[in-house]
Amino acid sequence: MNGFRLLMRIALRNLSASFLNIVIGLIIFAGTLFFVVGGSLISSIDQSMSRSIIGSMAGNAQVYSAASADAPALFDNWNLPDLAAIPDFSKVKTALLADPDIAAVVPMGVGVATVASGNTADQALERLRKAYSSRPRAPKAEIESLKAHVRQIVKVIQGDYAKLSVVAVADAVDGQSSKDLEKAASDAFWSGFDADPFGHLEFLENRIASLIPDSDMIYLHYAGTDLDSFGRSFDRMQIVDGTAVPKGRRGMLLSKFVYESQFKLKTAHRLDDIHDALTVQGRHIAGDPELQDWVKQNRLETRAIMLQFDPLSARKATAILQADTGSHETDLAKLLSAFFDTNDANFEVRYKEFYGQLAPLLELYRLKPGDSLTIEAYTKSGFQEEINVKVYGTFEFKGLEKSDLAGALSLMDLMSFRDLYGYVTPEKIAEAKRIEAEAGAAAPSRADAESALFGSASAVAEATPVPIDDKAELSGLAGRAESRAAEDRVYSTEEIDKGVALEAAVVLKDPARLPQAMKDIRALSDGHKLGLKVVDWQKAAGNIGQFVLVANLILFIATAIIFVVALVIINNAVVMATLQRVREIGTLRAIGAQKGFVLAMVLTETVVLGLVFGTVGSLAGVGVVGLMHHVGIPASNTYLYFFFSGPRLYPDLSVGSLVGAFVVVLVVTCASALYPALMATRVSPIQAMASED
Amino acid sequence: MPEIVSIRGVRKDYHLDKVVVPALRGVDLSVEAGEFISIAGPSGSGKTTLLNLIGCVDVATSGTVMIAGHDTASLSDRELTRLRLNTLGFIFQSFNLVPVLSVFQNVEFPLLLQAKYTQAERSSRVDALLAKVGLNKHSLHRPSELSGGQRQRVAIARALVTRPQIVLADEPTANLDSVTGDTILNLMKQMNTEEKTTFIFSTHDAKVMSHADRVIRLADGLISDPAAGLVGARP
Repeated sequence: MNGFRLLMRIALRNLSASFLNIVIGLIIFAGTLFFVVGGSLISSIDQSMSRSIIGSMAGNAQVYSAASADAPALFDNWNLPDLAAIPDFSKVKTALLADPDIAAVVPMGVGVATVASGNTADQALERLRKAYSSRPRAPKAEIESLKAHVRQIVKVIQGDYAKLSVVAVADAVDGQSSKDLEKAASDAFWSGFDADPFGHLEFLENRIASLIPDSDMIYLHYAGTDLDSFGRSFDRMQIVDGTAVPKGRRGMLLSKFVYESQFKLKTAHRLDDIHDALTVQGRHIAGDPELQDWVKQNRLETRAIMLQFDPLSARKATAILQADTGSHETDLAKLLSAFFDTNDANFEVRYKEFYGQLAPLLELYRLKPGDSLTIEAYTKSGFQEEINVKVYGTFEFKGLEKSDLAGALSLMDLMSFRDLYGYVTPEKIAEAKRIEAEAGAAAPSRADAESALFGSASAVAEATPVPIDDKAELSGLAGRAESRAAEDRVYSTEEIDKGVALEAAVVLKDPARLPQAMKDIRALSDGHKLGLKVVDWQKAAGNIGQFVLVANLILFIATAIIFVVALVIINNAVVMATLQRVREIGTLRAIGAQKGFVLAMVLTETVVLGLVFGTVGSLAGVGVVGLMHHVGIPASNTYLYFFFSGPRLYPDLSVGSLVGAFVVVLVVTCASALYPALMATRVSPIQAMASED
Repeated sequence: MPEIVSIRGVRKDYHLDKVVVPALRGVDLSVEAGEFISIAGPSGSGKTTLLNLIGCVDVATSGTVMIAGHDTASLSDRELTRLRLNTLGFIFQSFNLVPVLSVFQNVEFPLLLQAKYTQAERSSRVDALLAKVGLNKHSLHRPSELSGGQRQRVAIARALVTRPQIVLADEPTANLDSVTGDTILNLMKQMNTEEKTTFIFSTHDAKVMSHADRVIRLADGLISDPAAGLVGARP
């Protein structure tokens, strides 16, 4: 005990005795600071990300067919895993729910579809067509307003063409198009409109609408699921616009993120982004090329807005914009350009003005809750399948509103998903056989197989192009009586469960019991011959789930490098310090200190040095983490939004990294002091006798 | 008086590269308990080597060295260290105090290594010795705050604190002016008388030698008057 006190006394006294010790101390200080802050950040990201992943889609674990080539990867948006189907989900559900740890089993299947959105002219023309074909016919005033809008659109296109003919070589402008536009803009065309509305509409639809290149293809990532069960199991999901899909109905909920970024007027979406950058991220338009680019796009790309105006709304907009910009300009396009030419000083005023005054004159979204969406996807067997799904509303995952990782997936009912997936069940084969027999057909050729098996849907897909069938148009955009019936049908839970799923999220009552639950699931799968594999949420999330592992690895490597460097430097420093103290050590040996004492002395000194500066470094780390917790680290991009599970990360101190830091400091200082300590034991007591020089 | 140091036919060779340098070439020395002996001679004569052998910090190439009844050649490093701790005291030419410890702590150090006294026992022993060497008011000072003479007095206190049978002093006054040197030698002599401790010190200074009861003169690794090494100084 006395020996220990003596060692501590010498060690503590020696701390400040040498400049070398200060150097060693600073290295240890920096190392522990880095370790504590880095470790806390990563463990906080781990926690928030696990909240994001578990609470939004993955559940605590995912089960999938053992026959699959890949494993589930829910958030790998551009890389769909090849999963074999679970033919009958109800068996999986029944078997797994027998486990007392499991709260819910939610069936899922992820896919990609394309949605072709009609262009502005198509939409205006469709409204006009509807107005004419509705029984009774729509009031004259409404028809006249719609006609005025279409005429406005023709004028805008004509303007574009006039500009094009100025800048481009003559050949580039199609002569026929110019003639068509001239005809569509003429008074004669419009005065004869009411006499033959459908003939005129057909001309406009076929010849004029196609001249606007503003329609685009949207890639829609969707997860087919039992929407009711999904809503109950994933409490981070919340409806933003519209309503939830009623229980048992077919329907879709678009992700709010996708709705905003894909379905919203581009100009408005860019304004939102700029607003967000200025108010949340603290950026400035001046000196930020990205923001300047957005402002420039808004300034130049006003046509989408121009196409939406009819003469009346155009007059209103002109008045509003003249007031806002203080200009007497009468050209609406120029006024819009001037209005959107924003800077840090006027942006917020214009932003408010846009939503307060201009937006009511515009359709901000090209799809509204309650509208149907025609989506196309390639089935498992490689055929194109097309279905109509009603969009009931939009949803978001709380805390992940701005993340295009968790936000990229829209939700779809399982029935529609199965249609798009095109899985051939024994029942479907039987049904196909029956149809075949009824139709009196021989074995269908390969090309006909799709329509034979999934007859109803693809038959319409083939019928969609020209010529336009007025009667079919009565029932909606793609006009399918069958899908209309399916849309209204209420499916029972049994019907939803009994069928294909690609994977299923397992939600546990107690997340801490995950390892046990995964073992149980494997046992249940084996016992019931379900042929399932199970992965935890981290793997189920795909590459993104591995982020924490990678981040931990990087931290580990960085720490390892820092401490290996520290080890070498400390080792050298202690060797030098020992050499400087040869006489002192010799004296101690001469007056009766054993080799063990000298060994312990050098080791204790270095370890005490390490612990003292390690403690200071850890305290500094605790302070930095505390400050970060107070202020929050802003998520500067959508990936970080996902990792942070929200706009800012408020990291908590990781006790593990604090303990880890001390362990590492102990190991490193002991290891680096071992050689010099052994060297010190070899100092002979004779060294004490050596004269000063 | 019992013989406390017995050296018989001791040779000590140093190896410098391939050349063997003999430092002691057959020395016989006998010291009785309570003696106050000076080992004298010019530098290179083997004084320090002889002192190192007596101090158990070095071993002879041949011959026997008996310290307080122990044949040092047969002892392990551990046992030699224990012998140094319990039987010997050291005073160094450059004082060799531990710079980070206070005067009190420096003197207390060997007692802590012995680990057989309570704190109260240690304190009273250290305080008593510091009073004897006249430094009881400096017990909290660091060595760097003391003069050379004061430091050497601390070293004397440290050497005596374990009540050793022999105190070895290697040129204890070489780094001190002559007045201070005299004081130190007087103090050593006083301790020799009061504590009955055997003192063996080396010097090349004739004035210093004069304090000794007996002077062993070394030249070229041999005792100049072999009879002087074996005969007690006391009549």
